[in-house]
Order: sequence, then C-alpha cells, then structure tokens
Amino acid sequence: MAQHNLGTVVRFEVVRTLTKRRFWIATLAVPVLLVIVFFLVYASSTASDKNEAEQKNANFSFDYTDASGLVDPAIVDALAGTKVSDSAAGVAAVKSGAVDAYFSYPADPVKDTIEIYGTDSGIFGNGKYSAVALSILQRSAQSKLGAPELAQIIQGNLTTNTTTFKDGVVAGGINAVIPGMLFLAIFYVVILLLGSQMLNSTLEEKENRVTEMILTTIKPTSLILGKVISLFVVGVVQMLVLALPVVVAYALFRERLSIPGVNLSSLDFEPQTMIVGALLLIGGFALFTATLVALGAAMPTAKDAGPIFGAMMALIFIPFYVLPLTISDPTALIVEVFSYFPYSAPITGLLRNAFGTLPLAQAIIIIAILFVLAALVLRLAVMLFQYGSIEYSRKVNVRDVLFGRNSS
Amino acid sequence: MDFGKTTVIKDLSFDVSRGETFGFLGSNGAGKTTTIRALLGIYLPTSGTLHIGGRSFKPEDGDRLGYLPEERGLYKKESVIDVMTYFGTLKGLDRAKARAWSREYLERVSLGDKEKVRLDRLSGGQQQKVQLGVTIMNEPDLLILDEPTKGFDPVNRRLMMNVIDERKGAGATVIMVTHQMEEVERLCDRVILLKDGMSRAYGTVTEVQDSFGGTVIHLDHDGGVPDSSAYTVLSDRDGHAELELVPGADAGAILRELVAGGTEVRAFTPTRKSLDDIFVEVYGDEAAVEA
Repeated sequence: MAQHNLGTVVRFEVVRTLTKRRFWIATLAVPVLLVIVFFLVYASSTASDKNEAEQKNANFSFDYTDASGLVDPAIVDALAGTKVSDSAAGVAAVKSGAVDAYFSYPADPVKDTIEIYGTDSGIFGNGKYSAVALSILQRSAQSKLGAPELAQIIQGNLTTNTTTFKDGVVAGGINAVIPGMLFLAIFYVVILLLGSQMLNSTLEEKENRVTEMILTTIKPTSLILGKVISLFVVGVVQMLVLALPVVVAYALFRERLSIPGVNLSSLDFEPQTMIVGALLLIGGFALFTATLVALGAAMPTAKDAGPIFGAMMALIFIPFYVLPLTISDPTALIVEVFSYFPYSAPITGLLRNAFGTLPLAQAIIIIAILFVLAALVLRLAVMLFQYGSIEYSRKVNVRDVLFGRNSS
Repeated sequence: MDFGKTTVIKDLSFDVSRGETFGFLGSNGAGKTTTIRALLGIYLPTSGTLHIGGRSFKPEDGDRLGYLPEERGLYKKESVIDVMTYFGTLKGLDRAKARAWSREYLERVSLGDKEKVRLDRLSGGQQQKVQLGVTIMNEPDLLILDEPTKGFDPVNRRLMMNVIDERKGAGATVIMVTHQMEEVERLCDRVILLKDGMSRAYGTVTEVQDSFGGTVIHLDHDGGVPDSSAYTVLSDRDGHAELELVPGADAGAILRELVAGGTEVRAFTPTRKSLDDIFVEVYGDEAAVEA
C-alpha cells in the first residue's frame, strides 16, 4: 500500500534543502577547496621543478676544496669554479665578495656534511648554492661510473610492474582496491556532511512545535521514511557535486599533480567487491540515518543531542586506529569485533572489502546485521517520534515508548 | 488514561453532534488537551475508545480536520507560501489549489506581500494569521481549536471568531478547548466541564448553568428583603441584593410576593449564573493555588 503523503514529504524536504543558499555554500565549499588545493599543488609543483632546474644551472662564481677526491675538475671548470688550497681562503673570499660561494667537500661526503658558504641571496635564492654543490658531486660520481644508467640504478630511480594471481587469474592489485575504497570515501563524506541534517530532521518538528499538526496529516512512518529518502537524495546530489571537480582535475591534470599514475581505464571493478561495497554503504548509511533520526526524536533540542551525536561521529573514525591490523591480519580479534559491531562494521567492512580480505559469507552476515538493525532502529525512531515528539521540553522515556505507554 | 503512574483522565464519556459547537472547559491540568490529543491519536488511551465519525482518527482523515493545537508553530526557516502549500497538500489539496488558496487568504489577512518571507521574519501576530490559515485551508468539516485565542492580539482574536462563525455557518462541527467563558457562552451549543480528569458538568450551556444553581435575581430595592422558601439571599447590601432561586421557583411569583410584602422594588433582573461564576466555583481553589 502506498504511503499516504510520502511523496509530498520527500518533495518538500528535498526542495527546501536544495533551494537553501547555505546548503550550496557548504556543499560547494569542499570542491572549491579541492580545486584550490589542486591548483596550489599544481602551481607549487611547476614552480619547484622550474626553480630546481634554475638553481642547478645557476651561474655564479665559486671556490671549492675537495678532500674526497671525488669531484671531477672538468665539471667544475665548465662551471667556472676554482679550486682553492684551504677552507679559510675560501671562506675569506666569500666574505670579501671576491666570489659568490665556497664549497668544502669533506673526505667522506656520505658520512660528513658538505659545508657551503655564500653571499646571502635571500632564503629562497640561497638554495642555488647547495643545488650546484650537490649537482657537481652527482655528476662527478656519474662520470666515474662511466654510465648514467648505473647512476640511476644506484639512486633507485626505477619502476616495477607486479602481476599477481588469485585463483589462477590475474589479481587486480591496487587497481582493484581503489574502486572498493570509493565506497568508504562516499560513506565518510555523506555521514559527515549529512549527519547534522539527519539529527535535525526530527528535532526540527519538536523545536518548532509542528509535531501535532504534522501527526494529524501524515503517519509518523511516512514522515520518517520521507525524511530518510530525502536525505538519501540530497546525499546523492552532494556526491555528484563533490565528484565532478575531482574527476575533472584528475582527468586533466593527473600528470602534474604528482599523484601516483593510476590509469582509470585499468581500474578493476570486480563485481563481488562492488556489490558488497554498495550494500555495506547503503546498510551503513541506513543505520546511521535511522540512529540519528531516532536520537533527534528522543531529545528535546539539538543541544541535548550534541554529546551523543559527537560520540557517534567519533565512532566512525575509531576503526582507523587499527587500520594496519585490518589490512595485514583481518582475523585478529579486534578486527573481528569491529567487523561485527554495527556502528564500526560499515568502515571496517568496507576497508576489508576493498583490500579483498572480507570473505563473502562474512560480508553477507555483516550486511544482514546492518539492514536488520537499521530497520529496527528506524521502527524505534518512528515510535519515538509518534509517542515522544510531543514531549517538547524533555527527553523521551524509551522504555515507555517500547512498552506502548505515554511518556511519564 | 495514564502517564506513568499518574492517571490524567478517569471514566470520561461524551459525544459531540455533527454541526454543533462544543466547548471543552477546565482549568490548567484538567485533562482537556490530553483528551484532544488522545482523540487525534497523538496519545495512546490506556483504555476506552475515542471515535470521530464512528471510527478512530487516522492521519488519512486529516483532509476533513482543521486542528489548531495549544502548542503552535510552523517551519520557521521556510517561506510563508511554501509552508502553507506544504500543509495544504498534506491535507489533500493539490499543489496549485493549495497555493492559490494560500495567496487568496494572505491577501484577505493583509499579508499578500509576505508570501515569500520566512516565517521567523514575521511578527508574532502575522505568524498567528498564517497558523490560522494553515488550520482552515482545507475547509474542514471538523474544527478542533485548543485554546484558540491564546496569545492572540485583539485583531487576530476577532479574525479567529469570524473564522469560527464562518465554519459554523458552513455546517462544520467545532470543538473548542478553552477557559475563556465569554467565548463559550457566545459560541457553544454544548459544553463539558472537566476537573481532575472527570466530567463535572455536561450538557447545553443552560443545563450546565441550571445544574450549578440556576437563576439569580439581582434586586435593587428600598426596605428589607423578606425570608422565603422560594429563594436564598446570597447578599443584601446598600440596596442591592442577590437572590438565588430554588429549583422550580417562579421569578414572577417572587416579584409579586416582594411587592405584596412591602418591598419597594426599583429593579428586578433574573439572570442565570454565568459560566465564569461556575468556573470560579468549580476551580476556585486550584485557581488560587495557580495564582
């Protein structure tokens, strides 16, 4: 049977949220911030590359001493450097302004520090001295090895490509983890952005004294369901708004953002991971929504609900304290506890699902727990609202509500 | 009806006929609002049944009902027209009709230029007008008004009275919860007086007045007032006396008796005991405590 007036509630709640200026300010603040951060990273990366190149090739006069014997005179000559007999002479030349800099290479540059003296060119300009001093030593080492490739190998500038097999077929690796992690990211963003709205969705009727008029026009079940559906719709809108600049920035500026090169086309959308992730996300969202709506129905004001709301928000971060254990040893007792405890299960479950350490049977149990508990808490929320929201100025007695009594 | 260990309503029975205006009277805490909330399914009756039109009220019946609760409020952060349209559609009007009705009503109560203003930016009196509009916008055939003029300024009080008159004229049933006795005497066909969750009096206004002593004669006179088995002298001072008639006594016969007995009668006005007097008589002690 169709819910009486459900569509009216959904429309009202969605439209009034999406037409609020503060909603768009809050929603757009995140992508705008992301765009600013991307721009800063891009600008900084471009500038620092350019600066590093400029500093390495900076043209200035210098003296040097070389106790290591590693410096190639030909390289120094090309840069118009002059070898001096001792450190004192070099430092004195800098002090007098005869040269711009003096480098003192120690006997063992690996263990001892290369001392550099220079004419002050400002905090950022002074970087050119160490850049050139190091460049001279690196290029000298390369020339001694006789092959630039050997120098690259020693410096570790190498790439690898690992292929692993699971059940006889190529496993996805990091490309399979990323899609699963997206569900976790969505869960966090939705709960953090909408948590307060979830709490206030039923508090509003109490605080504005609208409850009685509402309850004579619509069933509490329809009202609460309408609010939950509208929260979901608003959450989807926020997701789309948030995702758009990230996708655009990633697609257009990926190479410049120093983000590890993951090819979007090679992401592995493994069906089981995606289905389990989606169900964990929906179940977790439903449970948190139902719980916050119930909390709003039970408390007289947002201020009274604040401490419990804060604890719930903190709860979703606790599973991250055992993140290494969750990934490396998913059978550890604490990980198992977090996997089954309903208010940490969405996070731990989504993490394990992304990393491929959540067996299907266990995933089904966790999903069932989330959905069943969400339904029970939603039912409690409806009862709290129906029989408790009329208590405008005091907390609702949950026991009275459960036993179908008017609150004493 | 119980709240925890406290019994608020005890052994209460009453009925309201279609098309009549019914007064629900009582002091604070007498159980008036509780009974109305139970009638509308907001509270659970511990035992007994409450029916509207022969069945328990359900929100689906909200399109027949106009309810103005004692605790009033609307969505304060939303615009006037949006809130009115929302409640109109919840009460069964289609969206366009709800909007059109709201605009017409706002013009009528001089708020035509406020339709896009947020409710919390209106004055208290303006918010009351909007609240009243939301209550009647579905042109209900049952109007339940809990303390209808509570907090209303004189302008809105008059508007409220006009609305009640209009709905009465349209054949609607009106239930008023109040302790404003002058409103009850002017508007109500029948009343019930609640005290401590029980009916103290129930019937037409005249029947209730009669049950609390019936007629009182205000007598301006010279000379003494003789004793009589037909009345009790309530007071007699400075040429003004109040005589309470015993049940069945005839005021005309008493006048003739007084004149024959030598009392010089300057004015002789039989009146029924006012509901206000009855209210004080019933709740006098409680009123003193509350004060």
